[in-house]
Amino acid sequence: MESSLLSWIVFLPSIGAVAIMLLPKALTRVIAVGTTLTTLVVSLLLFRTFLAGGDPAQAESVFGSGYGFLHYVQRIPWITGEGFTIEYFLGVDGLSFPLLILTTLVMFLSCVASWNFSHWKVNKGRKAYFVLFLLLETGMLGVFVALDFFLFYIFWEIMLLPMYFLIGVWGGVRREYAAIKFFLFTLAGSVLMLVALLGMYFYSADAVHQAMASGGVEGIASGYRPDVMITGGTFDLIELATNQAIQDHFGAASTMLMGFRFAPFAFILLFIGFAIKLPAVPFHTWLPDAHVEAPTPISMILAGVLLKMGGYGFLRICYPIFPGGGHDWAFVIAVIGVISILYGALCAMAQTDFKKLVAYSSVSHMGFVLLGISVMNKTGFQGAMFQMIAHGISSPMCFFLVGVIYDRAHHRRINDFGGLWLSMPKYGSWATLGFFASLGLPGLCGFIGEIYVLLGCFEGRSQFGWAVPMAVLAATGVVLTAGYVLWLIQRVYLGKLREEYAGFPDAGIREVFILAPFGVLAIVLGILPKHTLFNFMNGTLDLMVDHIVSMNRHFDLMNQSYAMLGG
Amino acid sequence: MNQLLGQAWIPEGVDLFRFSPELTLVATIVLVLAVPMIMGRSARLVGGIVMLGIAAAGWLTWRVAAEVSGQGVAGMSPDPASAMLLVDNLSCFFKLILFFFAACVTGMWWMGSSASERNAPEFFVLLLGTALGMALMVGTLNMLLIVIAIELASLPSYAIVAFEKRDRAAAEVSLKYAIFGAISAAIMLYGISLLYGLYQSLSFVEVADGIATDLATGRNGVIIAVALLCFFCGIGFKISAVPFHFWCPDAFQGARIEVTTWLSVVSKAAGLILLMRLVHALAAAAGAEMISALAPLAWGIGILAMLTCTVGNLSAYMQTSVKRMLAYSSIAHAGYMLMVVAILAVPGSVGAASAVSALLVYISIYLFMNLGAFGVVALVYWHTGSDSINAFSGLIRRAPWLAIPMLCCLMSLVGLPPFAGFMGKFWILYALAEQGDAASWLYWTLFVVAVLNTLISLYYYMRVVVKMMLADDGQESVRAPAAGTIMVNLCGLLLIAMLIWAQPIKHFADRFSTNLYSAPVLTVDVGTIDQTTAHP
Repeated sequence: MESSLLSWIVFLPSIGAVAIMLLPKALTRVIAVGTTLTTLVVSLLLFRTFLAGGDPAQAESVFGSGYGFLHYVQRIPWITGEGFTIEYFLGVDGLSFPLLILTTLVMFLSCVASWNFSHWKVNKGRKAYFVLFLLLETGMLGVFVALDFFLFYIFWEIMLLPMYFLIGVWGGVRREYAAIKFFLFTLAGSVLMLVALLGMYFYSADAVHQAMASGGVEGIASGYRPDVMITGGTFDLIELATNQAIQDHFGAASTMLMGFRFAPFAFILLFIGFAIKLPAVPFHTWLPDAHVEAPTPISMILAGVLLKMGGYGFLRICYPIFPGGGHDWAFVIAVIGVISILYGALCAMAQTDFKKLVAYSSVSHMGFVLLGISVMNKTGFQGAMFQMIAHGISSPMCFFLVGVIYDRAHHRRINDFGGLWLSMPKYGSWATLGFFASLGLPGLCGFIGEIYVLLGCFEGRSQFGWAVPMAVLAATGVVLTAGYVLWLIQRVYLGKLREEYAGFPDAGIREVFILAPFGVLAIVLGILPKHTLFNFMNGTLDLMVDHIVSMNRHFDLMNQSYAMLGG
Repeated sequence: MNQLLGQAWIPEGVDLFRFSPELTLVATIVLVLAVPMIMGRSARLVGGIVMLGIAAAGWLTWRVAAEVSGQGVAGMSPDPASAMLLVDNLSCFFKLILFFFAACVTGMWWMGSSASERNAPEFFVLLLGTALGMALMVGTLNMLLIVIAIELASLPSYAIVAFEKRDRAAAEVSLKYAIFGAISAAIMLYGISLLYGLYQSLSFVEVADGIATDLATGRNGVIIAVALLCFFCGIGFKISAVPFHFWCPDAFQGARIEVTTWLSVVSKAAGLILLMRLVHALAAAAGAEMISALAPLAWGIGILAMLTCTVGNLSAYMQTSVKRMLAYSSIAHAGYMLMVVAILAVPGSVGAASAVSALLVYISIYLFMNLGAFGVVALVYWHTGSDSINAFSGLIRRAPWLAIPMLCCLMSLVGLPPFAGFMGKFWILYALAEQGDAASWLYWTLFVVAVLNTLISLYYYMRVVVKMMLADDGQESVRAPAAGTIMVNLCGLLLIAMLIWAQPIKHFADRFSTNLYSAPVLTVDVGTIDQTTAHP
C-alpha cells in the first residue's frame, strides 16, 4: 500500500518554486500556474481509489473498515533513537481527502488570480511572490496529509513565513501590522500545540512501557495496524487515538502535566491553538486585519484553505485523541461557536469596507463548524465538514469578487458603490451567485452545511439539553447573514448606476475562468451533496464519531470526566 | 597533587597523542610568531599557517575522538582521581567544533581584514591563545587547571577585543571587559580556595565527594554554598549569564566582527560545557538519594537560565545596531542552553543523557546560525561601514543573496521550522519535558519560560527581517566578496539540511554525549591511566 503519490503532491509546488528561482523572470507566471495546475491534476488522481470498484455510490466504504483506514500511505522513519520514533508519515482518509482537493483547486485558481501581478500597486519582486506562493502550497498540503504530529507541526509552521511575506510585502497600507499580527497569533497557537505535542509523546511512551511491563511482553499491539507492535512513545496521530493503552493512560486522573490533569489540559492547549487558526471569537482579531491588507489571491487562500486547518485540527487531533474534552466542554465549545456566528454576522453587518465584511462573514461561517463539532454526532460532524468545504468554495469566490471590483474602482467602500450589475452584467450575476452561496440559499452549497449542523444540534438534544436553544440562536445567525448579504447586494449591485462606474469593463475571460469553477461547484455541491462530498467523507467521519462515542462511554464507566482540571 | 609533585612522571607517547591537538595549537602559535621573522610579516602567509595548524589540530582531534570513543575516558596524569586533563567524548566534541569554527573565523578574517591587516601574527597569537584556553577548559576537572584555562581563554580576549588600537570605543570596552573579568576571576579563585581549604584537594572529583559527604551529614552547608556560588560566578561570567553579562554587548559591539563571531559561539559553549561537567560531577558524587540536597543547585542554575534568556531577549528589543542585537541574542541563547544544565543537577536524573545530547545538538546548530548571521552583518559592514539596522534596509533588493541567508539564520535563531534552530530548541524542550515528567516543577517552569521567550524573540528578529524585506530607502546595492556570499548561503542551506537530516545530527551528538568522565574509581593503581570507570 506504500505510495509516494502524496509526497509528489506535497512537494510538486516546491519543485516549481525552485524552477522559478532558476529560470528567467519571463517564465515565472507560466511556471507558477503550470505547477499549481499539475498539482491539481495529480491530486485528482486520488479519485482513482473511489472509482476502482466501478460504483461511485460505494465510495463511502473506501475508508470503510475502521477509523484509521488510510490510502496512499507513505511511512519512512525520519528521526529515530532508543524507543524514539518520528516518522515521515503521509496518508489520506475521508477527512483529509476533500480538503486536499480543495487546497489544490483554490491554489490553482488563486494563482490564476495572481496573473495580473504587474498591475498591482506593489508589483515588485514577481519571482519572490510566486516562490513564496508555491512554498505556502507545500506547507498547506503537508498539513492535510501529515499523520505524524511532529511532521504536522513542521508543515504547520512552514506556512507561517511565506504567508507573512505575502501579506507583508504585497499587502495594503497597514500590511506590516497585519502580517506581524497574523504571525504572532499563529505562533502563539503553535507554541501551545508544541507543549501538547511533547506531553502526548511522553505519556504515550509511559503508557506503552507500563502496558509492556504489566503484560511482560516486548511490545503492544497497534490500535489500528494489524501485525504491528509498538514499543515506545509515538507521534502517530491515528495510533494515539486508537490505542487503548495510550487512551487509558491519557485519560487517567493520575496523569498530570504541569500540575493539571493531562487530557483536559492538552485538549485546551490544542483547542486554543486551532481556535486561533479557525478563527473563533475571541481569537479572531488577526483575521479581519490580515484579510483586508492581503492581496486578493492571498485573501482567497486565507479564507479558502488556511481557516480550514483549524477545523481540520479539531477533527484530526483534538476530538479523536482527547474525546473526553469534547464531551465535557461541549457546552463551552458550542457557546464559542454560537458567539462566533452571531458576533461575526453582526460585525459583518456593520462594516463599510467590502473586504472586511467578507472577512467577518468568515468568522460567522466558521462558527457553524465549531457548533457542528461540539454536539459530537454524525450529522454534526458531517455538517461541520461540509460547511468547511462549502466555505472553502464560497469565500474565495467572494474575495475574488471584491478583488475584481477593487481592481477597477481602487476602493472598497460599500456605500460608494451602486448599480454595478447594470454596467457589469456578467460580473453581477456571478457575484449574486457567490454571495447567495455564502448566504446559505437552499440549492447552493452553504445551505447544506448549515442545515446539517442545525440538524445535528437537534439530534443531540437527548444528550445535551442546551443543543436546541443553541440551534435556535445559530438559526438567528442565518437570518442575520441573509440580512447583511442582501443589504450588501442591494447597495453594491442594485439601484441606480453611478456614472463613475458606468464605464467599467465587464468581467474578462480570466476572471470568469476563476469565478466559474467556484460558481459551478457551489451549485453542484448544493444539489448533489451526497455524490460530491458526503460519499467521500462520511465513511471516515462516522467511524470517527463511533470511536469518540465508544471512548467516552469507556471513560464514563471509569468515571474519568475531563471536567476536573485538577487531580 | 602531592603524588604529582612527589614523583617524577614522564608522559608516555599515548598521552602525548591525546594531548596532540593542544600541542598543535601551541606549535602553531610559535610558528605564527617565528615564521614572519624569517619570511616577512605577510598577512596571507600567517593566515595560511594558521589554517594549516587548525586543520592539523582538527584532524588530530578526530583521530583522538576515534580512539577514546569506546573507552570513554583518558586522563593525563598518573593518578586518575586528580587527572589534570580529561580526553573524553565531550571534550573531543567541543574541540572538533572549536577547530571547525576557528577555521571559519579565519576564513572571515581572510575575506574582510587580511588585506589591511598589519598585525596578523599578534592577532592570531591572541585568537589561538583563547582557543587553547577553551580547549583546556572543556577537558579538565582540576580546579587549578580550570582557573588557568579560564584565564588563558580570557586574557587574550581582552586584548583582541581592543585590537583596533586607535579605536577609543574598543579600548573602552576592552577595559570594561578586563575589569569585569578580573573581578569575576578573583571571586572564582576565592570560591576555589574555600573548596581547597575544606577538602585539601584540587581535584573537583574529590571535592565533589567531600561535598556529598558533608551534605549528607549536614556539615559546612553555608560555606559550601558560598564556595560553589563564587566558583560558578566565574563561569557565569564566561557564558555571560545574567547578572554577569554586562561586558558582553559592549565587547561584542566594540570588537571586530570576526572576533565577535568567535566569542559569541565558542567562548560560551566552552563555559557551558565546563559548567555541565562540574554539575555532572557533583550530581554523580551525590548519588540518587540526595536529590533534595542538590535541589538548590538545580534551582539556582534554573533561575539563572530563566533570567539570562529573558533579560537577553528583552534587551535585544530596542537595539539599533544589529551586531549589538545579536550580542543580546547570544545572551538569550546561552540562557536556553543553561536550562539543560539544570537538568544535570539532579542526581541519577532520567533526562541526563538527553540533556547532554540536546546541548551538543544545540551548540552544533547554533554555530551555523551565528556564523551565517554574523557573516552577513560582516559583509554588509565591510561594504557600508555600518552595522546599524538601517544599513540592512531593502537588502533583499540590494543583495538578495545576503538577505535570504540572513532570513534563514534569523528565523532559525527564533526556532522556526523549516530551519534547524527548531530542532535545537525541540531537543532542549524535549529534555526539559522528560525531566518535568519525573522531577520538580522547575523543569516545566523552564519549559514555559523557554517557549515564551521564543515568542518574545520573534519580534526583534523580525525587526531586521522587516527592514530587509519590507523597507527600502533606496541605498545602493551591496557588493560582497563571492567567497563570503557562498559561505553565508551555505550556512542558510545547512540550516535547512540539518532539519531534514536531523537524525545524523542527533546521532552525532548522542555519540559524544555518552561515556562522560564524571567520577573515577579511586582505588586504581597509581601509574595506570585507562582503568577509570565511566559513568554514562
